[in-house]
Amino acid sequence: MSHTTVFSHLWNCRSAYHLQNRLDIAVSSSSPPTPTDARAIRSRGARLADGAGCGGDARLLDGPTRLVVVLMNSCIEWAHRYCAGPLRPMCAVSAPRKHKTGRSKGGKRNNSRVLAPLRLRHRPPCAAAAAEEMGIKGLTKLLADNAPKAMKEQKFESYFGRKIAVDASMSIYQFLIVVGRTGMETLTNEAGEVTSHLQGMFNRTIRLLEAGIKPVYVFDGKPPDLKKQELAKRYSKREDATKDLTEAVEEGDKDAIEKFSKRTVKVTRQHNDDCKRLLRLMGVPVVEAPCEAEAECAALCKDDKVYAVASEDMDSLTFGSKRFLRHLMDPSSKKIPVMEFDVAKVLEELELTMDQFIDLCILCGCDYCDSIKGIGGQTALKLIRQHGSIESILENLNKDRYQIPEDWPYQEARRLFKEPDVTLDIPELKWTAPDEEGLISFLVKDNGFNEDRVTKAIEKIKSAKNKSSQGRLESFFKPVATTSAPLKRKETSDKTTKAAANKKTKAGGKKK
Amino acid sequence: MLELRLVQGSLLKKVLEAIRELVTDANFDCSGTGFSLQAMDSSHVALVALLLRAEGFEHYRCDRNLSMGMNLNNMAKMLRCAGNEDIITIKADDGSDTVTFMFESPKQDKISDFEMKLMDIDSEHLGIPDSEYQAIVRMPSAEFMRICKDLSSIGDTVVISVTKEGVKFSTSGEIGSANIVCRQNQTVDKPEEATIIEMQEPVSLTFALRYMNSFTKASSLSDQVTISLSSELPVVVEYKIAEMGYIRFYLAPKIEEDEEMKP
Repeated sequence: MSHTTVFSHLWNCRSAYHLQNRLDIAVSSSSPPTPTDARAIRSRGARLADGAGCGGDARLLDGPTRLVVVLMNSCIEWAHRYCAGPLRPMCAVSAPRKHKTGRSKGGKRNNSRVLAPLRLRHRPPCAAAAAEEMGIKGLTKLLADNAPKAMKEQKFESYFGRKIAVDASMSIYQFLIVVGRTGMETLTNEAGEVTSHLQGMFNRTIRLLEAGIKPVYVFDGKPPDLKKQELAKRYSKREDATKDLTEAVEEGDKDAIEKFSKRTVKVTRQHNDDCKRLLRLMGVPVVEAPCEAEAECAALCKDDKVYAVASEDMDSLTFGSKRFLRHLMDPSSKKIPVMEFDVAKVLEELELTMDQFIDLCILCGCDYCDSIKGIGGQTALKLIRQHGSIESILENLNKDRYQIPEDWPYQEARRLFKEPDVTLDIPELKWTAPDEEGLISFLVKDNGFNEDRVTKAIEKIKSAKNKSSQGRLESFFKPVATTSAPLKRKETSDKTTKAAANKKTKAGGKKK
Repeated sequence: MLELRLVQGSLLKKVLEAIRELVTDANFDCSGTGFSLQAMDSSHVALVALLLRAEGFEHYRCDRNLSMGMNLNNMAKMLRCAGNEDIITIKADDGSDTVTFMFESPKQDKISDFEMKLMDIDSEHLGIPDSEYQAIVRMPSAEFMRICKDLSSIGDTVVISVTKEGVKFSTSGEIGSANIVCRQNQTVDKPEEATIIEMQEPVSLTFALRYMNSFTKASSLSDQVTISLSSELPVVVEYKIAEMGYIRFYLAPKIEEDEEMKP
């Protein structure tokens, strides 16, 4: 199936936009598109999402084999225009993720034959996909469907001057997969040790500093006992992948080599130590978590030591980070906007308390214990809303229909989320001038980096210090509630009797 | 129901040109007292506040407080279709998700209706307290525009310092540095060419020139600009709109590095 079908799909499913104002589409294709193809898709997708203005997202996941387009709010009309233009003329194949029937408007145009509904969860199980799924299973999608207002796209640049806690292990893992790796070959120094993580950490950190962001990297400590099961699973997956990789190498199957070598990637203690050393030389603070890095990040955020937490692991929300950022560490070439999750708004929109939200996450499936087979995100949300807690759900659940795992330590998992092992007893976070000699000796002498580039990069770090000094308006003026009712939006409450009197006419004229 | 008739239509066109570089989407708020807008730029460093008082319109009808989200580039596109002499009327019905701009030619022989779709814009409204400023500089807007433009060819930031000598704008960059001093000058024939400095105490603040340059786009609205400075506050750059109201730009200053910043 061709990627370009996605766009024709948008055209064909216009009525769906009218109904839900939002649509995600995931397409996976059996064969990866050519680089030119991938570029075209990415730029078109980005334009499609861009044109939305109010939100939207198009990206290629797992390299160029999957494209996801998420459109929100007012992009509807824009999508029409674009699909009618250069992207229109392909055959229709996929179906909207969720097709509400009934009030369909312009339904006569939606005459495409529905062949196969494609869903996010059908993504191929490869390493990058696993990274996407880290933490709470399917939570991103659940929130996109049920709490869209809690997710906001922000420009990378808009975080200048902010202190941000970055989950280091997650970033290192991403660097090992992405930076300078094709198939079996990786960036190495003369001694043959991998240096992808250093390259990635160095460049991305400079990018953050240049944008005036103040990163603080948080490294994993000892994993909690409950996570060992999950870690063992990951370990055995890696073992399998290593076996598959050897086979693939013997057969000379390039695609398979690419796929399996991704899966064999593992972050070692050495990688962590290298990065810590690098960061300290760069003058960037490092925090060593007693246990889980995400939990430590969340604690720093809750304590207002940092503004937000950057990770790809949705756990961060469950640990209660006030603001959680995804895609902050993605390469700039991808042009993916940062997605900011606001946990207070998540709770407000889902109409849950924090405790209930934690239970919801456990039901969705977390790293600490199994979930109940047959209960996915939507069902879990329904159950939690109905019963309020896992205990109460268990009392009322049809035991014939759903099999509850025999040894299900959900209470222990809950405790880990609520009272994780963290420390706030850390030295004051300070961003200092880089140690030039140290960096050159470490990167150039020990790890074979190009000296010119490192020198230039150090200059960048120095000049970046300047940028973080720009003040923000919010530190002077505080937000206030607006008094005027939006003309367009649905009224949420009767503010004045006048507004209430107007309501009748409003409801009549409402189009959506 | 909303109906605002503005005889001097070109004014609205100028307002749009003045702010659309800074903000792309914004909510226009209409109340019984006037037509206003408050919006921050995407990085939350600068803020624009616009007020056009009801009295300045030939006809002003606004039954209840309304907020209309508009894409300013699209709005500017439509307003560009109006002639400079045209009368512009802004209309919106309750419950509708569009706004209509009506342009009437001065001779009343041509009437154009442009309907624009509104947007939902989530925006925070900031409360701006009335404050006493340590120094207030009034000077010709064209002069201020020229200074900002000249300085930005040398450096990225401008230090504005007010002493009893006058107001000094300085910058430095890779190629060198520049200092421009404007002294108090009330002896000119035309009041719009005067430079007046009211100073309680000396003040010196640093700002990004990029934003200052974009503020000066409003110079066509007023011959004079007022710059209000206090060491603990964002600068206010105000252009008065004759008999109607004002357009004010707020810009957060650059902060000394050692100072402890909020997370």
